[in-house]
Amino acid sequence: MLVNRSNYDVNDTPIFQVLTEDQIEAIYYAALRVLYETGVRVYDKEGVDVAHAGGAIVEETTEQSSLVKIPHYMVDKARATVPSKVVVTGPDRQYRMELFKNQIYYGGGSDTPYTLDPYTGERRRSTYQDVKNCARIAQALPNYDFHMSLGITQDTAVGTYDRWQYLAMLESTSKPINITAVDIEGVRDQLEMAYIRVGGKEEWRKGPIFSLYIEPVSPLSHSEEVIQKLLFCCDNDIPFVYTPCPLAGATAPCTLAGLLVQALAESLFGIVLSQLRKPGAQLIIGGLMSNMDMLSTIYSYGSPEMALLSAGYTDITKWLRVPEYETAGCSDAKLFDEQAAMEAAINIATAGLIGGNMIHDVGYLDSGLTSCPDLMVASDEIIDMVKRILRGIPVTPDTMALDVLEEVGPGGHFMEHDHTYDRFKTEIWRPKLIDRQNWENWTMSGGKRYGERVHERVIEILETETEPLLDEGMFAEMRRICELADARHKDEELDVKMFV
Amino acid sequence: MSELFEKIATGVIEGNLDEVPGLVQSALDDGLDPTKILENGLVVGMNEVGKRFKLGSMFVPEVLRSARTMHAGQELLRPLLAEAGADLGGKILLGTVQGDLHDIGKNLVGMMCEGAGFEVIDLGFNLEPEKFTEAIKEHQPTIIGMSALLTTTMRAMGHTIKAIEEAGLRDKIKVMVGGAPVDADFAERIGADGYGHNAASGAELAKKLAGMS
Repeated sequence: MLVNRSNYDVNDTPIFQVLTEDQIEAIYYAALRVLYETGVRVYDKEGVDVAHAGGAIVEETTEQSSLVKIPHYMVDKARATVPSKVVVTGPDRQYRMELFKNQIYYGGGSDTPYTLDPYTGERRRSTYQDVKNCARIAQALPNYDFHMSLGITQDTAVGTYDRWQYLAMLESTSKPINITAVDIEGVRDQLEMAYIRVGGKEEWRKGPIFSLYIEPVSPLSHSEEVIQKLLFCCDNDIPFVYTPCPLAGATAPCTLAGLLVQALAESLFGIVLSQLRKPGAQLIIGGLMSNMDMLSTIYSYGSPEMALLSAGYTDITKWLRVPEYETAGCSDAKLFDEQAAMEAAINIATAGLIGGNMIHDVGYLDSGLTSCPDLMVASDEIIDMVKRILRGIPVTPDTMALDVLEEVGPGGHFMEHDHTYDRFKTEIWRPKLIDRQNWENWTMSGGKRYGERVHERVIEILETETEPLLDEGMFAEMRRICELADARHKDEELDVKMFV
Repeated sequence: MSELFEKIATGVIEGNLDEVPGLVQSALDDGLDPTKILENGLVVGMNEVGKRFKLGSMFVPEVLRSARTMHAGQELLRPLLAEAGADLGGKILLGTVQGDLHDIGKNLVGMMCEGAGFEVIDLGFNLEPEKFTEAIKEHQPTIIGMSALLTTTMRAMGHTIKAIEEAGLRDKIKVMVGGAPVDADFAERIGADGYGHNAASGAELAKKLAGMS
């Protein structure tokens, strides 16, 4: 082949960047200073001991906690062993997430107290059936790569809800799952359930089928439960998400750069502790960063700052070479309305363009308190649009189509050309629920708004028969784990029924 | 005289933390009645802040600055008011319940309640039921407020109310609860006296429970 060009640069995808390398390094070194000079509060004796044995300075020890200060070299050491790639698959190995720099996967959010009932539209406490429904929808949507519960099972025991919630998800989806857990006993039970589902501990070792969501408390606090979960994950080959949720102007500095410094210090502590416990322990750092709305005091899930912070943090994690937990597909709207669609579209696009790895909270409304099946379905289409943009504009002799232009010439048309026939399906994105009919046809087809069409699709998914994912024996075995947990913790429940 | 009251009120609205204590002091030096300074100055200002916050023309950081300003002024009056036997609006004990470290909402409620004239004693977070009962005995508050962010720790609110009942203290206090997963229905189920859906409504509820509005 005749080579007649040099220094030719190609964008395989569009390029989006919030922070330069110099800015990232400034934030990183500021975070190191926070870790060493300000320190973090650790409410777990074992965690403090692990850090101390690894070189941390331990001060101000009280009955409940210690202030732990991390010298810089400990972070360098941890960074040498923390994996730059984490893989989580579905139980049948059909679905998989390969989390590393610039790989994007979208999925739900966990544990909303409320859901919008798909049949009545009512906002109510979510139940086992709701969690099953959302998992079923996640299973049906091609752009959903992993799942989180999108509801707390509140018609089950409260203190052991996590096992039931996992069971409800396993009933309806075979995609990778990011679970939550009440405590390490909850993780242990769910791990047993996962062994049953995947076919044993050895199968799990070949590829974990869930990651665990762990959330330290901002600013700079790591609770006993959080540290115990982290250590348990390290000991049991469970990948985990270590995601603080700092809130600009409330639990973090109001300035976005200050928030990023804090969030990074919080996650770096997770990296250090995990690598001390077990070099190579797998974690994904993130991930939910936003501002407090200064009128309503809510945690904003739809603000431009939320999208921007997530994107900025993604730049940092790419530089660190640690998989990232990102946030999108969510809104502060109370219903699936214009605001929800607008906010979700903006944050889904931003997350996709920046290349956030595990992009969660798709389907969240009401600042994270309510899940919405309609928003899941609409987001699937938004993600599809974004993925088209991410395919960019390949520039080749074929795509520049000089011979076609030459052939058609001034005043001709391209509609019948083979070049069009061969390429229109891959070159031009086709919507599923978005309507592009002219006025007359739209009117004749019922004149439905987008929201109505989305809702019809939700109902269609829920009412389409699917093959059960769990055989009866497997289901019974897992259910038994849930029931035993309930029995063990019966005395901790309130006398009154709390919710439904 | 009314001009000074107006200055104090404006100072509270504008959050002039450096000026208001001085203004209150000059009012006292002028021999004005502490109750009048409170009611016609500080409270007038804070009421206006509340109104503007509801209308969306003042924001949380501004409201909190005003509350701090009001509080600084009130601290000068408190001993005098107590001496005169005036009603000081009562005491609130606040805390995040056992198992829960989340306290930003509780902190916000505390600041709002201070702005509403309460004396607030913040017990912190991850509090066992006994911590509440002991503190009730020690501080003898009008109200206790409990916060939780998780459905699992919401149970601790119920356990705490039970512990307060068993300690024979339930009829001495009002109980209010709040936190993202909490709602009015739950508050009723566990026998609380009220539920605040955000910090501002928590402060209003406190006033109602204390018979101040």
